[in-house]
Amino acid sequence: MSMNSNLFEPGKSKPERSFVQLAVKQNQRLDGRRSNESRDVELTFGTDWGSVAVSMGDTKVMAQVICEMGLPSLSRPNEGKLQLNVLLGGVAFLDEAYSTHDQRSLKLNSLLERTFRSSKCIDLESLCVAAEKHVWCIRVNVNVINHDGNLYDASSIATLAALMHFRRPDVSYKDGELRIFKQNGLEFTPLLFHHYPVSVTYCVYKSSGQPILDPTLLEENAADSVIVLSFNSYQELCSLTAGGTAPTNAPIVMQCARNAAARCKSLLDFVRKALALDEERRSQGDRSVNGLVGLILNTEHKLSYNKLMGIQKQQQQQQQQLPPGENMELDNESSETPVANEEPSKKEGAGAPMDTSDWLPHDEDSQELPMRSEAIPSKAGKYKTNKKTRPRKQNNSDSEEEAKQYI
Amino acid sequence: MDVEKETLRQMNCEFNPLSRCDGSVMYSQGATGLIGAVLGPIEVKTQNLSIDGSYLECNYRPKAGLPQVIDRIREAAIRDVLELALLSEAHPRSKMSVQIQELEDRGSIDACAVNCACLAMLIGGLPLKYSFAAVHAIINEQGEYVLDPDQSETQHQRASFTFAFDSVEGNLLLVKTKGSFKIAQFNDIECLCRAASAEIFQFYRSQVAKYHGRSEATAKNET
Repeated sequence: MSMNSNLFEPGKSKPERSFVQLAVKQNQRLDGRRSNESRDVELTFGTDWGSVAVSMGDTKVMAQVICEMGLPSLSRPNEGKLQLNVLLGGVAFLDEAYSTHDQRSLKLNSLLERTFRSSKCIDLESLCVAAEKHVWCIRVNVNVINHDGNLYDASSIATLAALMHFRRPDVSYKDGELRIFKQNGLEFTPLLFHHYPVSVTYCVYKSSGQPILDPTLLEENAADSVIVLSFNSYQELCSLTAGGTAPTNAPIVMQCARNAAARCKSLLDFVRKALALDEERRSQGDRSVNGLVGLILNTEHKLSYNKLMGIQKQQQQQQQQLPPGENMELDNESSETPVANEEPSKKEGAGAPMDTSDWLPHDEDSQELPMRSEAIPSKAGKYKTNKKTRPRKQNNSDSEEEAKQYI
Repeated sequence: MDVEKETLRQMNCEFNPLSRCDGSVMYSQGATGLIGAVLGPIEVKTQNLSIDGSYLECNYRPKAGLPQVIDRIREAAIRDVLELALLSEAHPRSKMSVQIQELEDRGSIDACAVNCACLAMLIGGLPLKYSFAAVHAIINEQGEYVLDPDQSETQHQRASFTFAFDSVEGNLLLVKTKGSFKIAQFNDIECLCRAASAEIFQFYRSQVAKYHGRSEATAKNET
């Protein structure tokens, strides 16, 4: 009794750390997941627009979007504002001590800011009503309800879903007079998006070269380094956070990036589907038992990732080969981002099991041997060379890791 | 005495949905829902330390943003009731922390928050002198009484009342009124709410018994 709750975070003690390290080395996890398996994501929409609760296992996060009229900033008089606000504490009982609280909330906030604000995912110019006078200020409040690891993903999914769910009232501006139409919820307009970013978290340990997806609090605290990647549906990188002391090398990060890009895409598909279902429910007028109250015992209102996406998984794998047109476009637009660069080789190997080697060397080539990357445009040839180099490269990366571990 | 509606909305609760606290509950009454969580007894800051009893920390968080004045008032009401009910002498030099998170406000949020706090205390195993239940009722435009109104029903109200009762002697723990009414109406509504509070206590009993895996009948005999 009478201990600060901070001390009770799992994964902070030495035995716990070594346990997790050992488990990861044996490619096992406490909850029986595989290293690239995530917990089920559940979405519950509230009765208000822009209100959503996300749960991933025991991690629970609630987001609420609100809007108000305000003054634009002087530097950008024709743009609306987007503010992101993470609130820890409350029922989550996180960080009663001020120092750690600050650290955690700043980290989360900056991650969300980079993912959603700096990547300019929302068309802020469409939020302008009268330049230099009236713009919409969109505020996202993320309430952490329970923390069991991977707050990053939970809050980014919550933020994305809340922003996509949100509708703002219509306004008219005539002769310097501003009118907001709030009577009828049906005439509200959704926000305009440029792209839809969402983040995926990996933990890397010194004992193993295999990063694990969607860590629990125990795994997150025991991790030597945490990598958070945000991708949008075009598989463009929106933010990358990699810290810690694990010997993370380029192949590991690239492997994470590739898997994360695919996961982000399916997460977005899931959010879209959930939104469509919610829309359907709303149009049916089923509002009596709706809302976040659905979190209690009632599974009907929880929209589960596994359920919604489970049947589609196989189809998706097939579909991945289908839309080459979109990817070609991407390549032209942003061939400088490493992910887009890897796109063609990835598509070719989509049917095969996940293997980084057919695209990773490509990256190394372009960095170290500019001569070869110039010769790449003939795609068939590249695929062959990749296949040839595969075993060698893998050996290389393995030996690198081992060397680093021994150092 | 005109009574428009004298039944409570459907109550629902889920115990210990959260992993980091000693006790937590998701409680809903109709479409209004809250999460309550308790932690205690835990270490207390020296400035709040009391040698006579435990220090009670109570926070109410709205759905979005920082607490406004109305949320603070609600928080104060919950704390007042909790301070009366908490057996603080049991744990001197310690702190009891109660956090309430609003999920959805569709009417009667004051009363629901108090009930949620009580259930959280019960399931968290913090010592209480008695359990308590709050009931909200209004007088509508036609002068009729509406017990536990939904948000749509509260738009044109003459007066609103929130009462909290204890479970042992049935004493009033909290009275909150707004609007204009006659004292006779006040008395009527107090009776109405008192009757409804019995239903809430029954709900507490059955839910806690269910959670601990005992049939309601045995639980009743022991209380």
